[in-house]
Amino acid sequence: MTVESTTKNSKPADLRDDNRTSRRLLIALRYPKGIIGLSLVGSFAFLATLAPLIIPESLSTAIDITARHSPPSFEHLLGTDKLGRDLLFRVLLGAKSSLLISVSAVVLMICLGLPVGLIAGYFRGWTDLLLMRIVDSMLSFPVLVFALAIAAILEPNLRNTVIAIGIAFSPYLARVVRAETLRVSALPFVEAARAVGSSHLRIIVTNILPNIMGPVIVQATISIAFAILTEAGLSFLGLGTQPPTPSWGLMIQSARSYLDVAPWTALVPGMAIAFSVLGLNMLGDVLRDALDPRLRIDR
Amino acid sequence: MAYLANRVALLILTLFLVSVIAFSITNLLPGNVAKMMLGLKGTPEMLANLENALGLNDPLPQQYWRWFSGMLQGDMGNSIRFKEPIAKLLGQKLAVSSILMVMSLLIAFVLAIPLGIISAVKHNRWPDTLCSSVALAGISLPDFFWGIIFMLLFARTLGWLPSSGYVSPADDFWLALKHATLPALTLGLGLMAHLTRMMRSAMLEVLRADYIRTARAKGVRSTSVILRHALRNALSPVITVLGLQLGYIFGGIIVIEMVFNYSGMGFLTYQAMLNRDIPLIQASIFVIAAVFMVTNLIVDLSYRLLDPRVQLE
Repeated sequence: MTVESTTKNSKPADLRDDNRTSRRLLIALRYPKGIIGLSLVGSFAFLATLAPLIIPESLSTAIDITARHSPPSFEHLLGTDKLGRDLLFRVLLGAKSSLLISVSAVVLMICLGLPVGLIAGYFRGWTDLLLMRIVDSMLSFPVLVFALAIAAILEPNLRNTVIAIGIAFSPYLARVVRAETLRVSALPFVEAARAVGSSHLRIIVTNILPNIMGPVIVQATISIAFAILTEAGLSFLGLGTQPPTPSWGLMIQSARSYLDVAPWTALVPGMAIAFSVLGLNMLGDVLRDALDPRLRIDR
Repeated sequence: MAYLANRVALLILTLFLVSVIAFSITNLLPGNVAKMMLGLKGTPEMLANLENALGLNDPLPQQYWRWFSGMLQGDMGNSIRFKEPIAKLLGQKLAVSSILMVMSLLIAFVLAIPLGIISAVKHNRWPDTLCSSVALAGISLPDFFWGIIFMLLFARTLGWLPSSGYVSPADDFWLALKHATLPALTLGLGLMAHLTRMMRSAMLEVLRADYIRTARAKGVRSTSVILRHALRNALSPVITVLGLQLGYIFGGIIVIEMVFNYSGMGFLTYQAMLNRDIPLIQASIFVIAAVFMVTNLIVDLSYRLLDPRVQLE
């Protein structure tokens, strides 16, 4: 949990004065943090989408035992791994699995967490009590332990990694959504909608949902970063992406035994993780400032 | 007192639900305990017999109840992989890991508080940038990555500390401490990073308060204002969220103990998962969650005792 306040004195005055979301977003994205975050995330997404299209699979799997553990050079820009495979190609293709898994896991998280939070926060009473007890007991498992247990029990593969991370993250979103729903449900316009006889579903979809999207987007952005880290952890432990699919966690795992002779084999995927996570975290911070000017609490 | 009773009742209810979750996710597994015990050499008849003997054909709620009531009596069954009583295994390993967890908690606190204070006091100047960058780096890289970097740096290159393994403090206290240092440092890093960020924003908030201005105006020394007036009030929001942040440590032990070959609770859980040792997975994730919850409750209660403004409702 980071208690992050919008640090008032470090922001230009116009962000606080303007209330239109789109304008606030544009202003916030022009902060150095916004620019760096957006360009890191942008290039990560760009490379992850483009790399598999232009780099033939064979280049990343081409084994060249004579060139094993060669340091970064003109021929291999980022060096090679223990089988002489080019690290640049592997790290670029790893971006694809990383992006694919983390974004799908976050989509799954939203599919599970959003309705639960909405229902609990909107109907309150027994429904809320029951749902939140379940959410709380899921939160009692540390995220990684929960994800690992699910991944170990289902077979480790790409789809199950998504399921494991998505389920493990969903209670966090459910809590955020519930708190926001409670807040918005008490506002006069929701009462007005009730008074004119709108159905529950209509109120939830047209009145509440649009007003809680800000925190959901922020949580989703930060969750993608966290999902990248979790996926790397699962793969590192051998319970996530399986070889020969290039994955950053797996690359670090296989580099472990050769650190003395070829430290770059671990550094390259490490940096890839760091830059993408850093970018997403920065973007998350900026979005938080832009979408929600009040004191916010995140994971 | 009523508050305490309430919290404990809630804890017991949640623990019950946690046990249901731990039991049910392991039952999603295709295949069952009997198949794993027999391995490849089992004939269908042997399998059927064993399934009957273990009660695997009973309805799930009945199986659950047998598991849960056994656990309440301290009988968690036997590990398939290690062929030993799970309760005994977990007891030993939990003690081993608790050394690691306490150490990493201390490391995180001792580093995070000064870093956070420096960041807030030197807001937006180079010491702030430096401390914030350290914190950001801690958050942005996976803990196992730091683990192998530390191992390379402090053990292989500098030779200050042993690179892996576990030594019992009963055998050699100093050596045990040396072995625990690197894993504890790695484990505490994520928590340290988050605490630093929290400490920084809490401190920034407090430093803007009127009573701080008053204290400065009446000529109290700067260090005294920061350490006595501001720190106390900035600490309480940090401690409020500490409970949930401990998840970093509880989740991290699995990866970190594996990296450092430290045979504790996390390593045991990892082996259980790799070998799909269902009874051991069930018991160990339940125990990790239970310890996590109890620690959380203790943190919460102590926070309420430390800060007189917080009412025990």
